[in-house]
Amino acid sequence: MSNDLVLENEILNLIKSAFNAEGNVIKSRRVEVFVKKDQVSSVLLFAKEQRGYIHLSHSTCIDWIEEGEFELIYSILSPKDKIMLYVKTRIDRDNPVMENLDGIWHQLNTYEREMREMYGIEFPGLIGDKEFCLEDWDEIPPMRRDFDTVEFARKTFYQRPGREDAKDVRKTLTEQSGEKIPDFATKYSRE
Amino acid sequence: MREKETTLYIGPQHPGITGNMMVKLKVTGDTIISSSTHVGYLHRAFEKLIEQRNWLQSFTILCRFCVPEPDPMELTYARAVEELEGREVPERAKYIRVMVMELARLQSFMLWYAGQSGSAGLYTLGQWSVGDRNYVLDLFEMLTGGRVYHMYIWPGGVRRDLPEGFKEKTLKTMDYLEKRLDQYNQMLFDNTIFQKRAQGVGVIPKDKAIEWGVVGAPLRGCGIKSDVRIDEPYEVYDKLDFIVPTAEGGDIWARALVRKEEIRQSISIIRQVLDKMPEGEYYNRVPNPMKWTIPAGQVYTRTESVRGEIGFYVASDGSDKPRRVHVKGAAYTHGVTVLDKVLKGQNIADVSFILNSLGVCPPEIER
Amino acid sequence: MSFFDLKGLLQPLTGIRQFGKKPHTIKLPDLLLNTADRYRGLHHNDLEACIGCGNCSTICQNEAIDMINLENIEHKDGDSGLRPRVDNGRCCWCALCVDVCPTGSLNLTKDYIFTSEDANDFLWIPGVDNPEGNNNLSFTSDTNTSLSMYQRVPMRELDGKERVKSFAEVVLGYSEEEARREAQRCISCGLCTNVCPDHMHIPEYINAIAKGNDADALKIIYDNNPFPEMCGKVCTRRCEEVCAIEVRGEAVAIRWLKRYATETAPTAEKIKEIVNPVIKESNGFKVGIIGAGPAGLTASYYLALRGFDVTIYEAQAHAGGMTMYGIPKYRFPLDSIDKQVDYMKSIGVKIKYNTKVGKDISFEDLYKNNDAIFAGIGFQNAWTLGIENEDIPGSIPAVDYLNIINRGDSYDVGKKVVVIGGGNVAIDGARVSKRYGADVTILYRRRVEDMPADWEEIEGAEDEDIHIATQTIPTRIIKGDDGKVKAIEYLKANMVADDKGGRPRPVAIEGSETILECDTVIGAIGQEADYSWLPESFKDKIEVKRGMMIVVNEFNQTGDHKVFAGGDAVNKTADAISAIADGYAAVIGIENYLVKK
Repeated sequence: MSNDLVLENEILNLIKSAFNAEGNVIKSRRVEVFVKKDQVSSVLLFAKEQRGYIHLSHSTCIDWIEEGEFELIYSILSPKDKIMLYVKTRIDRDNPVMENLDGIWHQLNTYEREMREMYGIEFPGLIGDKEFCLEDWDEIPPMRRDFDTVEFARKTFYQRPGREDAKDVRKTLTEQSGEKIPDFATKYSRE
Repeated sequence: MREKETTLYIGPQHPGITGNMMVKLKVTGDTIISSSTHVGYLHRAFEKLIEQRNWLQSFTILCRFCVPEPDPMELTYARAVEELEGREVPERAKYIRVMVMELARLQSFMLWYAGQSGSAGLYTLGQWSVGDRNYVLDLFEMLTGGRVYHMYIWPGGVRRDLPEGFKEKTLKTMDYLEKRLDQYNQMLFDNTIFQKRAQGVGVIPKDKAIEWGVVGAPLRGCGIKSDVRIDEPYEVYDKLDFIVPTAEGGDIWARALVRKEEIRQSISIIRQVLDKMPEGEYYNRVPNPMKWTIPAGQVYTRTESVRGEIGFYVASDGSDKPRRVHVKGAAYTHGVTVLDKVLKGQNIADVSFILNSLGVCPPEIER
Repeated sequence: MSFFDLKGLLQPLTGIRQFGKKPHTIKLPDLLLNTADRYRGLHHNDLEACIGCGNCSTICQNEAIDMINLENIEHKDGDSGLRPRVDNGRCCWCALCVDVCPTGSLNLTKDYIFTSEDANDFLWIPGVDNPEGNNNLSFTSDTNTSLSMYQRVPMRELDGKERVKSFAEVVLGYSEEEARREAQRCISCGLCTNVCPDHMHIPEYINAIAKGNDADALKIIYDNNPFPEMCGKVCTRRCEEVCAIEVRGEAVAIRWLKRYATETAPTAEKIKEIVNPVIKESNGFKVGIIGAGPAGLTASYYLALRGFDVTIYEAQAHAGGMTMYGIPKYRFPLDSIDKQVDYMKSIGVKIKYNTKVGKDISFEDLYKNNDAIFAGIGFQNAWTLGIENEDIPGSIPAVDYLNIINRGDSYDVGKKVVVIGGGNVAIDGARVSKRYGADVTILYRRRVEDMPADWEEIEGAEDEDIHIATQTIPTRIIKGDDGKVKAIEYLKANMVADDKGGRPRPVAIEGSETILECDTVIGAIGQEADYSWLPESFKDKIEVKRGMMIVVNEFNQTGDHKVFAGGDAVNKTADAISAIADGYAAVIGIENYLVKK
């Protein structure tokens, strides 16, 4: 089946050589390329204008908090080749700025507004209301991994009384038996 | 005399869509100059919640992305997890999944009939189709235990096997619905009011459609044959015989024609699936859900729903919870940027009519 | 199309045809819709079958399920005493709780109507608030549909024909992949920890294995058990009897998982490297330990870690006590013992071998020279069978026989061996004899299902072609012309139900005498402790009860506050893990007594 991946390898190699980028053919109809953030617009334009990747499927962000980076993914589709190309880039999490690309696909405007609100990524020149889903939000951007929803719910909403008698099974059992779980082991206890 | 520009708010509650969403219009007289979509009335932070639940627990919220058609969400997520883990799905489960997909499509089309005719002021048909939809929901109740939210398709297969007598009951329901469809069409497509309201309204230009991000029936209504079930067959769609209808014009009428034919294709697919379904396992058991980890990786799976392509971009970091699940719904483009373009120059009275034909589902936008 | 499209105007009027038809709707409340057989309605919990494991509460993503105490439900072995309460204001009826319930007690019913003006009423205790729900179950789980993993990852063993040829270890142990898979089955409820005499942190170390952190698992195990490899191989594992998964399937292989964790450290140095124990500075107190069995070794290990100067006095030439001399090497190999004892020595435990207290050194001296004494006493002396000719050559108690073999001496059992008893010691005697090529029969008074031995041991014996003659009561040993055992006579027995509700008793059938020829009779009907070390002068303070048990408090302290005791002679269960628990409790007791007094 490997020779079925001709088209996939073709687009991959084109982008690899033109932009000095890394990338893989993930499987049939799925290709990913990793580019620097200032190359994204040229890669997208190249794919759209010259290789028939005229459909923007979606764009999204992943918070790699441990590595201090946001991963931005632009998934674009060629209706002719039926190949989906992921253009991926990483940006600094502490200074999250990304080029505004809604001139290439207008619908990116919505995705960028969402990412601005949910991850706090700035897109200089982006037109559109600051508020997308949220209203009067003054916490850290909520889709960031370090935003604690449980904590937020506790302090924001009224907790209806009547359930304080709930018991933790593991803890109840240790009370019954006198078992003492050492501190270093509790991370393996049931949540 | 030049008319003054006014701002008009449609929504958050209005009949054009399933869910709450507000469209802010700038109009002069009766004509729309521009529009902008405002969401946030439904925001339940599903994507965030999924990140905090383990791989199996997540599957119970997925269906709540979209009330009219919850099942494609479950399937798309299940397929993404299976692909990440490399888990095989038994053949029988694949057939059952396709059947569920088409039943879901069917009942969603019945809601569309109600919405599309209702927003044109034709209320009789809506009563009929929503009433008849209950017969499909009866099937779901029998199969899954739930009527609207099924929580039935999960990674590894489906949750329970077909109950006894299900096949017979389904075939009977299909026969009944097929007969009723003729009566629906007499009420809608043969109706001058609908024809005059729908033709030439809400036009998406064919040459722009793909670039605008249009998918599903609206794209096929532009005469472009595009359907994930054909383009990238999943489960057992490649073993089934069905056509993907298209229509020319790009207007509400064309989209309605496409759906009119698709609903018959769904019935045909359900019959084929029930006929060809093999015996055997229906579930490739996952490990204890509390300790189930998925290898690190990222995948994108897509499924054709009534509204168009639904996709899940799922990233795993190798732990027992998803790192990120991004849900791409058709409404994300249809309801915001495409809507803005389509509404330009239309009448105020057509807004909900157009919204309905685009299949906008606000929870897909906010997630 | 002209503006006046006549067809298009008239066609919709065909809808009027529906006018005279019967409506599809039904009238409420006269006629309630009958829900489907799988309908997901309100919960019902079978309070008797529920074991309070709390898995339902854990899976619930809406935090709708609380585990609470109920009146009339007390905790017992294998039951936390807690029961679920559902907040119907939060529940979304996904029924994941049903699919993860290991016992199948929690189900959904067909009922879906519940109204109340008081929001508090929506907090519902399934089974208490709807006792009749049992007749109305709809969405249920069985062992096929449940998400609990009921099947154990099978343990690889030497083939029965192969293993009788040598004393090679029969159980081969889990591979890494098998261990991970088996560890995943655990639902981390912790019911097992309550029945473990030592209250080991079972869910935690199993979870560590499941997550691939074997070193953490070993560290957690060593927190209160310094002899885990022994437990991993031969523990009586009451934990597995109360495993939540065991209710409808095969218990999580807790013992084999512990064994797996210990095997990741193949040498004493490696154990020390992984466990990396904190050894406190010397506190100046001296503790003398009698016996290097599990109880004594445990006490020494944790005392040494806490800065005590510890010396063990062991009568035999090797440490391990009954686990060394009572358990055959195909179950618990010598190098396993050595590895663990070496590790203990490496952290400062001193052992004096061949030093029998009461003979080579007096108890009084020990008492004088130490700040505290711990006596870890095993059951070394066999009970007599109480039948004729029991003391002639060819008749030997199993503990003595095993002792001889385990210390490396030989004993000729001849061609035919009869073992009397149904416990692990009996099976050990039988399987050891088999390894010397004998034809072995076990005589047992009751049925196979009544045998106190581990089922794996019984199966192992059967695999090795050992014949188990059940419902047999030995009556006498027949002496041959050479003065040695020639045969054994026994009566067959019927099982008679016990009027007082106890287990059925065997009652001999008159005239059913049967004679079985044999060369050796091995008696294994029970053992007791040897108290020859304890001088009479101490017996007014250190009370030895009838049945030869030493009386101690919760910290294993005897009437003489300087003397602590543990092991078979103290606890009722007389197994290694109980001895370890005694040793551990005594450490706390000694520390309280000496350091914190």
